[in-house]
Amino acid sequence: MSVIALASTVSAFADQQSTAQPTALDSPLSADELKNAVSIDALTVPTPGEFFKAIEKGGKPNWTSEYRPPISIKSTDRAQMALNLGTLIADGYIAVEAHDGQQVKNVGKDVLALAKKLSVSQSVLARGQSISQFAENDAWEQLNEELEATQNEVKKALEENRDTDLITLVSIGGWIRGTEVVTGLVLQNYNPEDAKLLRQPALVSYLKGKLTALPEKIQKDPLVQTVSRDLDSIQKMVSFSADHVPTVDEVKDLNIAASKITKEIGVSE
Amino acid sequence: MIRLILTALALCLVMSYRCLADTDEQVATRSDVIDFAGAFQNDGFKIRDGNFFGKVSKDQPEVVAVNLYSGNAYWFTASTGQKVEKLKVSVFDDNGKPVSYLPYQSGTRAAAGFSPDASGLYYVKVALEEGQPATFCLIYSYK
Repeated sequence: MSVIALASTVSAFADQQSTAQPTALDSPLSADELKNAVSIDALTVPTPGEFFKAIEKGGKPNWTSEYRPPISIKSTDRAQMALNLGTLIADGYIAVEAHDGQQVKNVGKDVLALAKKLSVSQSVLARGQSISQFAENDAWEQLNEELEATQNEVKKALEENRDTDLITLVSIGGWIRGTEVVTGLVLQNYNPEDAKLLRQPALVSYLKGKLTALPEKIQKDPLVQTVSRDLDSIQKMVSFSADHVPTVDEVKDLNIAASKITKEIGVSE
Repeated sequence: MIRLILTALALCLVMSYRCLADTDEQVATRSDVIDFAGAFQNDGFKIRDGNFFGKVSKDQPEVVAVNLYSGNAYWFTASTGQKVEKLKVSVFDDNGKPVSYLPYQSGTRAAAGFSPDASGLYYVKVALEEGQPATFCLIYSYK
């Protein structure tokens, strides 16, 4: 199916003097090229949208089944708030995928509280008017486009706030919650193709690297230390060979591990 | 409320500072590569809102690590935005071995279409085959 998808796209280049051919043979990357390869969040860390797009190949997932009860947002620990914000952001994506406006609002209530505590710039929110309108009108495709466009505004605000460390924790929280959700969906209707999506050794390694690069003060946070330890065990679970298909039990173990961290992040102080 | 959560949702997508277009040259290359990638938006590919700026010369390619999902189809596109270079985009597995992909080459623009059989780490290489050193912008699309 994917081959067909690519082949059909080549036709789009037809009026551009395309030199497209169906395959290519190149020399392997040199040791220096591998060593100096650039890792950049904007391209190296896949978006939740890519993950969801992949899992939807096997049929429309039951997104609402992965909702969870509201979490406590009373913590004053900024690291915990950032991790929690990440998990809530993942919840928001699930609500959008489920086309559930009410759930978006429910999650948004908690996100609002955390975002205020983390001093996310109000100026960033100005662009959201059209997003709100799209959501009210169930215009989900346009909503996704507008969401993408909002990113640059968010970027500016984060730079202004010098909160790059918090961004790392937000993305880790989001990935953990996303993994919990995706493994849950895989377990509901297990098939090998979906299970293979869970292979992400380099991604977890990258996130771990970012975690260990955080300032010492944040690294000493008890919750951050717990998350870091738990990520070690998760890294082993997602570091299987390319030809291995995770069994139901292996997916279940990963689901349990991800759920454990999500709960630890969401627990009250 | 909704706009706040959706704005916050964007936080998890926005984690790079190198993707900002700081110079006129970067703005031009990004504009050109977005225009280039628009060719397959009509085929259902979604352009990821993230990019990488690098510099290439004939003896100094640039390699970027990406994590892909099996089942998805990807197009990696790059452009220098100038009219004299010949770019090439190629894809490699996590060991640096070449994989089978669909190449496209047209002067200052180049692309590689790839559908991974296995999820995980891959490398995208942007090389300059002809021309003077130049700044390029790399983006990717998926469906």
